[in-house]
Amino acid sequence: MNNWTCEQSEARLSDYLEGLLHPAERMAFDAHVATCKECAAIVASVEHLVTSMHAMEEMEAPPQLIYSILDKTLGPRDAVTGWRAALAWIRGLANARLAYGAVSVAATFLMIATASGFSWRKPKLADLRPATVYRNADRQAHLVYARSTKFVSDLRVVYEIQARWHEDAQIPTTPEEVMPQTAPGKNPGSSDGTTPSSPRQQNRADEVKRDLEVLAVELAPESVVSLTRRMQ
Amino acid sequence: MEQDAQLVQQCLQGDGSAWEELVRRHTRRIFNICYRFTGNRTEAEDLSQDVFLRVYRTLGSYRSAHGGFATWVTSVTRNLLIDHYRRTKRDRITDSLDDAMPAVENKQSSARRPDELALLGELSAQVQRALIKLSPELREAVILRDLQQLEYGEIQRTLAVPEGTVKSRINRGRIELARILQQMGVRPA
Repeated sequence: MNNWTCEQSEARLSDYLEGLLHPAERMAFDAHVATCKECAAIVASVEHLVTSMHAMEEMEAPPQLIYSILDKTLGPRDAVTGWRAALAWIRGLANARLAYGAVSVAATFLMIATASGFSWRKPKLADLRPATVYRNADRQAHLVYARSTKFVSDLRVVYEIQARWHEDAQIPTTPEEVMPQTAPGKNPGSSDGTTPSSPRQQNRADEVKRDLEVLAVELAPESVVSLTRRMQ
Repeated sequence: MEQDAQLVQQCLQGDGSAWEELVRRHTRRIFNICYRFTGNRTEAEDLSQDVFLRVYRTLGSYRSAHGGFATWVTSVTRNLLIDHYRRTKRDRITDSLDDAMPAVENKQSSARRPDELALLGELSAQVQRALIKLSPELREAVILRDLQQLEYGEIQRTLAVPEGTVKSRINRGRIELARILQQMGVRPA
């Protein structure tokens, strides 16, 4: 088997790929292909080709082909009417692609109907009129848009406030910290020995408070304004 | 297979719905064999119709003892494809002369129906183009073995040639096809 030739490799290539060679032949084949570039290339090409062809799917036959064959063999069919026609129509629907398409369309209609405010509990025919559907869908779309805008705006304001808050958190500028505090048990006007905030810190606190109020009034709805006030 | 034999019996007794069932069960496979052999969708449709017309007319000569109905229909298909190949040989010689002219070749390739290419996929379309360049004997052997994935025994019965010949044709067909694809610039992945 040592003198295995290129011709032998070519002649036994399919047997080799399908595992039909005897062990000794297989060893000789392998040994030859390991040293022969031409044979190695053709083995790789054919192996890839066969794998690819096995993976190829059959094409669908044209739908009218079956009917053409039946017409040619059995003769033109009589028009089917009544329940037989309905049954034949339903049989024609027994197709995975068609079923998938039908489900997609149904889901789309369901979503449109729900978005247009159609009540599934109390369905009314009037709700399905195109003008009503359009008007309801338009209203819902605007409502959703307005809510989304409001939500985004709220988020932005809160973020702005938080950012400003953290920015100023490093220095004691919050009103509670810089405003003169009356110590418990201390009479107004008397000194308790503590050092009050410097005028500069007080100015800074006033400035932050004013900024927050302006920001809240300009950008946010009442909830944010009240939040800002609570934070103060 | 048994169901096919039963349907054939019902057909022979004049049951039209049994024939319809047989047609539905085998149309796709026969259409695919015809398409792979001719590389032309319209020709494949026409040939598929001819196959079933002949099967219908000669149904009485089918004997289940000689093999499965599917093998018998494949054998009828193969005979019609070879007849078709011989009939259209002159046209193809003219075509191959035209192919020698680059301008005409470009025109032909661009005239190929885009839906066919989409259906087959890139590699499948390349294999299809290469298949057409094989001799009919090697082509039918490769189609039956690698695209229809029939056993050697079934191919032997379909082509009515010895098993050694079947194996040899399949092997030569594969190697030839790989070389054609290589010449077309298609490399193994």
